[in-house]
Amino acid sequence: MTEIVSTATQAGRPAISGVVGRLPEYLMIWVPLLLSAAHLVSFSLWTIWISFSPSTLVPVTGWVGLRNYNAVLASRNWHIAFDNLLLFGSAFVLLSLITGLVLAILLDQRIRGENVLRTIFLYPLAVSFVVTGTVWSWLLNPGIGIQKLVHDLGWTSFRFDWLIDRDMAIWTIVIAAIWQSSGFAMALFLAGLRSVDADIIKAAQIDGAGPVRIYRRVILPTLWPITITVVVVQLQFAISAFDLVRALTNGGPGIATQLPALVVYDLMFQRGQLGRGAAAAVLMLLILLAVLLPYAAWRYVQRRRATHA
Amino acid sequence: MPITTTRRRLLAGSAATLALPAFARAQGAVKPRLTAISQWSAGSDGAAITALGKKFEEKGGVWQHSPVPGFTTEMMNKLRAQIIAGDPPACSQLKGPEIAAWSKIAPTVDLDSIVAAAGYEKVVAPDLAKLHKPEGKWIALPLQIYSTNMLFLSKRAMDKAKADKIPVTWADFNDLAEKMKAGGVTFPIANGGTRADDGQKFEASLAGISPAAYRAAIMNLDTKALEGPEIKAAFAQMRKITNWMDPNVGAQPYATNLKRFVDGDMGMMIMGGWAQGVLRNAGFKFEDFVIAPGPSDNGKPVFLLNADAFIFWQRKEPDLQAGQALMAQLVMDPAIQTMYSQITGSIPVRTDVDLSGEGWSDGQRRTAAALKDAVANNQAVLSLAHNMAQQNGLTAAMIDVFTEYAKNKTITPDQAVTRLAEAVEGSR
Repeated sequence: MTEIVSTATQAGRPAISGVVGRLPEYLMIWVPLLLSAAHLVSFSLWTIWISFSPSTLVPVTGWVGLRNYNAVLASRNWHIAFDNLLLFGSAFVLLSLITGLVLAILLDQRIRGENVLRTIFLYPLAVSFVVTGTVWSWLLNPGIGIQKLVHDLGWTSFRFDWLIDRDMAIWTIVIAAIWQSSGFAMALFLAGLRSVDADIIKAAQIDGAGPVRIYRRVILPTLWPITITVVVVQLQFAISAFDLVRALTNGGPGIATQLPALVVYDLMFQRGQLGRGAAAAVLMLLILLAVLLPYAAWRYVQRRRATHA
Repeated sequence: MPITTTRRRLLAGSAATLALPAFARAQGAVKPRLTAISQWSAGSDGAAITALGKKFEEKGGVWQHSPVPGFTTEMMNKLRAQIIAGDPPACSQLKGPEIAAWSKIAPTVDLDSIVAAAGYEKVVAPDLAKLHKPEGKWIALPLQIYSTNMLFLSKRAMDKAKADKIPVTWADFNDLAEKMKAGGVTFPIANGGTRADDGQKFEASLAGISPAAYRAAIMNLDTKALEGPEIKAAFAQMRKITNWMDPNVGAQPYATNLKRFVDGDMGMMIMGGWAQGVLRNAGFKFEDFVIAPGPSDNGKPVFLLNADAFIFWQRKEPDLQAGQALMAQLVMDPAIQTMYSQITGSIPVRTDVDLSGEGWSDGQRRTAAALKDAVANNQAVLSLAHNMAQQNGLTAAMIDVFTEYAKNKTITPDQAVTRLAEAVEGSR
């Protein structure tokens, strides 16, 4: 079958030459690519335009300069959301990285039932964030969840009421987010661990290195590119986190767990302030760029180094 | 496959045949038709609007209601999309100051002549009427009324406190809460912790302390009133309320606690009249609880108005215009209002409807009496927590302050007053 197809294309190529012959390929790649790019770019530009307009309930033309940005940046909601993003982003990325790596190393020990365990750890990724948030909101509710269970078991002084503690509530989101996505980090790390050349490990063993040392000195250094990938993917999730928070705390207690995406939604659809909402969305885009641009630069340097070597 | 096609064709064919005479009739005398959107799809709300639709059809109209289930914002998103597309519904659910805001983005119907013909203006609370004629002309009609500051008392908790007097002022209320606490009621207050709930705790406190200060500060946003002593007193009263609540309440809706409330594990609840319907639907009896007007320091009932309404959007089609006229007449009709309120548990907009007959509960009768009293004493004010007093942007900014204050007990009433004034300033 494959042979027939390949001979057919080879035979057909000289007859219909160049661009025309490759037209199907171009159509397959470029049309969807251009459509999605146009979609993304045009809506981003539109949002930027709205953010400078006096739009409230419906989009209107007009120019108000930076007024919407100033209003958003001066609001308490945005301050809380931004502080939370810094805390949530760094804690979530770091902890999910560590959890994923530890799980991957443990699974890498050629244990029995690895497939089952791997599926279990990866499974949360298949669950929607809304489900994760709702389930954890029950587990973490002191009146019906873990705290009540421990109380009922007899340890009545036990306290685990982070969900209703406005200083600790942001950590409940970290917990749920790690539960959901450390399996993803684990899968990538495990692939990385498995792709390390067995000869190098053998050589290290012959040199008398123990398992800890082999991991520290030989295997982990090769995981750098994977680590960066995991960090970037998790960071962009953290910045755009919405559904998880909405289901778990809905920004509360009070407004203690606001995140930028919640602020955007709130401004646009609940307060009917499209202009300010768009300004907040553009600010989110800028935060994302602040993460992604250094990553792109790093990739560029890596590639240049590779071609030079 | 071929069978399906044939059947489909048959269906299409018969539909066309059926539609033809209707079309022919529309050319002659117009058959009233109404396109409407609302969020009322299920429960008593869904049942009530379905019953209204039936009445509309009985009068020879074509009822085309598209419910958008979920939050009010979802309904508004659909309305926004239809207005931008130049195809607004003939009528849609909308309430409070949003009527004024939305009427600026698309033309509405002038209902003045229909309202005048029905003599409706005389029987509607003046503050409420004002909301429905933002530029001096009626463009929307209120449908039903709730009070957001009704006081629900648990009979069993009252027994535990050995009390039988319904509290009238905030001092009475606080006394009773202390007695309940001493009598073994774990949490004297049974409220929830949603944003609207936290807003209600504040508005009930302030309106009960001084309806005049509420009107000046919350409805008119008077800067001096916003920093006045009544606001501070209201925050202090709200702190007492939150201290008597279950700290685990988090962001739960009030309905979560209804069983503990009826059991006497929780004592009192400041909630809208709709909680009566929820309690009844949950299987509890009228003997389990008492409904009274919320605490008022001057002894006369204060009524925090929340009213659902329909706004009418301008359409050129004669059948839709006829439908709008018919709908307006129905919504103002006392019989229709009675039917609607008896299904949902609200009270009629008209102050001249007699509630002594069958089908009304004591709670509804007391609510209607409170409204009459409050209107007579100029103590009927508009609810902030339920989007009647200010547009959504300002409301949300103010509720941010209330909900943070409810959850963060380190904020003092003085700080809260400053924050409220700043929040108002920031979103003006």
